[in-house]
Amino acid sequence: MTSPTARQLPAGSVLDVVSFEVEAGKIREFATATHALDPVHTDTEASTAAGFTKLPATPTHVVVAGHHRNQQQFVRDLGLAIERVVVGSVEWHYTRPPAVGDRLTGTRRVVDDTTKDGKRGGTMRLVTLETEWTDSAGDRVLTQREVLIERGA
Amino acid sequence: MTRTPITLLPGAQLESRRIGPITQTDIVRFAGAGGDFNPLHHDPDYAIRAGLPGVISMGQMQAGMLAAWVSDLVHIEHLISYSVRFASPLRIGETIDLAGQVDSIDATTAIATLSLHAKSGDRVVITGVARVRITVSH
Repeated sequence: MTSPTARQLPAGSVLDVVSFEVEAGKIREFATATHALDPVHTDTEASTAAGFTKLPATPTHVVVAGHHRNQQQFVRDLGLAIERVVVGSVEWHYTRPPAVGDRLTGTRRVVDDTTKDGKRGGTMRLVTLETEWTDSAGDRVLTQREVLIERGA
Repeated sequence: MTRTPITLLPGAQLESRRIGPITQTDIVRFAGAGGDFNPLHHDPDYAIRAGLPGVISMGQMQAGMLAAWVSDLVHIEHLISYSVRFASPLRIGETIDLAGQVDSIDATTAIATLSLHAKSGDRVVITGVARVRITVSH
C-alpha cells in the first residue's frame, strides 16, 4: 500500500488526457441545465446570423469531460479522499468558444500541490490542475484551471 | 457578421437573473449534462454520512449558471475569461440570484472586468470575475 503523500504527483505531471467531439445535443443539454438563453447555442439560424459557422458551446461546456474521465481514478492518482474533496475555484481562459464538430483534447496537469492549516484546525491540501484544451489542428481553444481542496481527516 | 460587443459603463449594475427553487431534478439534469455522478449530489444518505445536512448541488452547476447568464448578456464570442470561487454549498429548495457589476474598463483594449456573484438570500454561494470585450462609449 502507498500512503497518500507518496502518491502525490510532481508538478508538471500529466494527470489525464481526454478527447471528445463537441456535439449539438450535448451543447443543448448543457445549455438547458445551466439556463443559457442565447439561441446561438441551439439554433442554427441564430448562430449563423450572429456570425458563427458552427453552433458555439456555452462558456463552461468542457465540464462535460466528467463523462470521459474516471473520477475515482484521478482522485486516487492524486492520493485524495473523495469524500473530503471539494472544488475551491475554477477559471477558464478562452481563445474562442468550442463549437459543434470540434474534436477537443484536454491534457490535464498538476501545476501545484500544497498544504495549509484549515480555519477549523487540521491541514488542508490544495491541488491545482490545469487543462489545456486544443482542437484537432492542435490549436488552443481554452485553458481551464481548478483548485481542489481536501479537508483534513 | 459578428455581433458588436455591448456597451458598458464603469460601475454599471448588470441585469440580474433569478433561478430556483433548485430541485433534485435540476441537479440530476446537470449531472446528466456534465457527467458528475458523485453521490453527494443525488444520494441523501451518502451526503448525510459525509457530514452534510443533505444533498448539495455541484459547484459547477451554479458556476455554469453564472457563466451562461454573463454570456447571454455580453455574448459568448466576447467572453475572454471567467473564474469562480465557491463560497458555500447550494441546497435543494434554495433560490439563487445572479448579479454583478462593471468593476473597471480598459478603454485602450476595450475590455471590461465584471465582478459577479450568486446569492441565496444574503448568503454568497459563489463569486466570479469575467473579462469581456465591449464597445467603449465616447
